[in-house]
Amino acid sequence: MTNERYLIVSYFVCAALAIALGVVVYLTLRRSFAGVAEAAPGKGLPSMLKRLLPCGLVLPALFGFVSVSYQSCDRTTYTEIVASRGYLVAKNQEQISSILLYILFAVVFWNLVVLLILRFANGGRDGSKVRQLDD
Amino acid sequence: MILELSAFLILLAISLAVPTILFLLLRPSLNDLLRHTLRLQAGVTFYLRSFLLVLYLAALSATIGTSFDLKPDSRFMEYVWKGAEGLSASLERTLWFVAIYLVLITVLVATLKVKDDE
Repeated sequence: MTNERYLIVSYFVCAALAIALGVVVYLTLRRSFAGVAEAAPGKGLPSMLKRLLPCGLVLPALFGFVSVSYQSCDRTTYTEIVASRGYLVAKNQEQISSILLYILFAVVFWNLVVLLILRFANGGRDGSKVRQLDD
Repeated sequence: MILELSAFLILLAISLAVPTILFLLLRPSLNDLLRHTLRLQAGVTFYLRSFLLVLYLAALSATIGTSFDLKPDSRFMEYVWKGAEGLSASLERTLWFVAIYLVLITVLVATLKVKDDE
């Protein structure tokens, strides 16, 4: 496989991996998040939060993927970039690392959202709605 | 090439072992704490799964970013040093995110009413 072909294949594989990782994390948290979101105050807020969760995990993963640039100080042209296989592999590693990091930030963000939901569900309704859901 | 791959796989194995051990050690007490703090079972599940994800994502994001692109004539210890560098990055990131998670859980416990108090 030539370096150019490797670049094309690995780029789209990494893009697919970003989406797949975002979806896997979403599937891991989906049910428990839906349970918490149901306790959110307001009529449309629970369904809005549930619909936002997949976007809030897949988009950061994609953002992490595209945030890595192949151009660097010593390699600015396309020819210089595809010249070294080692450089391309290192960039792929950087992309995957960035995808995981951005998903990590997204998970921490959703943790904060859940904290706020629980705070308002708890304090705002004196726990009555939460108790019903728990039963 | 084989040495590079072996070094990377060893680093990956160690980086996966650390969050696994950390999670297994902390899970029972974290579970108890969350059960006493939250009325909602879904909340307990969410925070436990999030903790596991945070640990693995933090460790893996640092480990995978480590490149073993050394010169072909590199000696054994150069691979060891590179692996140690990757492990250092992995542990540092894991500890930072455990600290962030700890702050989050502290805020959660401080903010919500404790079941036992009622």
